[in-house]
Amino acid sequence: MTGAELVLKVLQQHGVKHIFGYPGGAIMPIYDALYDSDVQHFLCRHEQGAAFSAIGYARSTGKVGVCMATSGPGATNLVTGLADAMMDSVPVVAITGQVFSSLIGTDAFQEMDVLGMSLSITKHSFLVQSLDELADVLHQAFELAQSGRPGPVLVDIPKDIQIGSVDFEPYPINDKKFPAIDQDAVTAARDLIGAAKKPLFYIGGGVGLADAIDELQDVLEYSQIPAISTLKALGTVPGDYAYNLGFVGMHGNQAANLAVQECDLLICTGARFDDRVTGKLDTFAPNAKVIHLDIDPAEISKLRTADVAILGDFKQILPQLKVAPHTPEWLERVGGLITEFAWRYDYPGENIYAPKLLNQLSKALPEDHVVSCDVGQHQMWVAQHMLFSSPRNHLSSGGAGTMGFGLPSAIGAQVARPDATSVVVSGDGSFMMNVQELGTIKRFSLPVKIVLLDNQRLGMVKQWQELFFEERYSETNLSDNPDFITLAKAFDIPAISISKADEIDQAVEQFVQSKGPILLHVQIDDKDNVWPLVPPGKANHDMIEGN
Amino acid sequence: MTHTINLIAQSRPETMERVLRVVRHRGFALNAVEMKNCDKNNTVNIQLTVSGERPISNLEHQLKKLYDVTELELNSALSQSAVAMNA
Repeated sequence: MTGAELVLKVLQQHGVKHIFGYPGGAIMPIYDALYDSDVQHFLCRHEQGAAFSAIGYARSTGKVGVCMATSGPGATNLVTGLADAMMDSVPVVAITGQVFSSLIGTDAFQEMDVLGMSLSITKHSFLVQSLDELADVLHQAFELAQSGRPGPVLVDIPKDIQIGSVDFEPYPINDKKFPAIDQDAVTAARDLIGAAKKPLFYIGGGVGLADAIDELQDVLEYSQIPAISTLKALGTVPGDYAYNLGFVGMHGNQAANLAVQECDLLICTGARFDDRVTGKLDTFAPNAKVIHLDIDPAEISKLRTADVAILGDFKQILPQLKVAPHTPEWLERVGGLITEFAWRYDYPGENIYAPKLLNQLSKALPEDHVVSCDVGQHQMWVAQHMLFSSPRNHLSSGGAGTMGFGLPSAIGAQVARPDATSVVVSGDGSFMMNVQELGTIKRFSLPVKIVLLDNQRLGMVKQWQELFFEERYSETNLSDNPDFITLAKAFDIPAISISKADEIDQAVEQFVQSKGPILLHVQIDDKDNVWPLVPPGKANHDMIEGN
Repeated sequence: MTHTINLIAQSRPETMERVLRVVRHRGFALNAVEMKNCDKNNTVNIQLTVSGERPISNLEHQLKKLYDVTELELNSALSQSAVAMNA
């Protein structure tokens, strides 16, 4: 068989059924092999869309997402998506066509140093050197993408290798390997938890990545330890857990931020002390000892020194940390904070209050749903006000904060989970960044539902200009937006537009009941901001509340 | 503060690039570097002298994360097996 046919064969061996991509000259042999393959290809309308769709596919299922592009600009268009996957530890394999080996380094047409540009935005990358190593490299790519801390792996394949002849040999798929757990560290951690008067679990995306949600929930229920969640962890702690303090950080709930400042033991579980979580780092959890649980040794004591660190598989570690409840006063304090700082939806006036709309929509969605969002004010409102039963149901660009993530990510989730309701919540700024993916929705008749919160502004930047740049609104006015209703209709997507609070009930019902794709355009006041807010460089207990 | 790092890595055309990129990005200046092909196992031996104000453990962990890096020692001689490979 040809190298191109081998690529498809190896993908199938790893269980790949769907690929997102865009053809071009240097990857034509693989697209030719795809023509007769059982692997289904989803033509996105920009390679960045393909990368984000692969991310949505991976994040909504835990499987590897695969994207494909041609050399040169095809590959460069993948770069932002791969960087996003790197920041959020998403298992993605990207396959790029490269010009003939003999032309590499000659500035040939669509020849770029893809390996070179991949170094900082992938977990690992390969430029395939020969047909002999092609299969092995691809197998390594799949193993690496999923092993340890997951991440994106790029395989750049010169065209001569794609068209060369090679034999296919089956390859054993290896189970994941984990480091042995340091039992002395486990004992030390149990001692710290037993001695703590105010212990707090700080949950990150790593718990979901380790597929250890049940184990975590078991520890929480047994030990009655309160928990805060990062953006990527939302959905990990059950919504009805009595001591679920929810979202922590710059736009987190005040209860979560105050609890973390008061705790005397922080059990960081698959999180990484990101600056959007900690605020001013040296003021974060100032009285707490730290137990750090992770699969990645590089995260231990990177930003906050750990008193005890345990490396390994959370499914094995967490059950060993069950300690009898012993902190009734702390639990009472946490319960009080949760009640005191519960989100409020009593917004005055006739206009639509986005947090209330999102909360109402969240409750109206079927149980099996995925919400993908873009980046900005609406992203924080989604995190604050929508309810999630799994981190696989909340796809949000966390570390990279990439506008344009939402629509293609929702497409990937819809392909991966065809029976689920896939919803995008976007803003008028972000939506335009990958708006071409409406063409993908149309092409494959995907029933992706879109909520577009339109304040005719780059809202989050505008909010910071208002608060920190003396209301000098530099380049954030988008009042010349296109007519989004007409735009949706150009792709055969029905659309409705609302601007008043009394229109919400009917619109939400129509939106949820829609069998196919639909766009709900929501006009909101550009003066509505995201609250509360920890100003940059401030401590988390210095949150400010606005209007 | 100055540190010496001695590592063994799989020999790929971009191995040195990967190592140097991590040194720079993680906040260290490169003072000296030497790379030699090892005779066995298609590996290279890279010796780096770096300086920086950040904790060297951060750089050590990040270099160890590189898929091609198989062995790393900080401020000390290589293990006997690595030295033998380099001989």
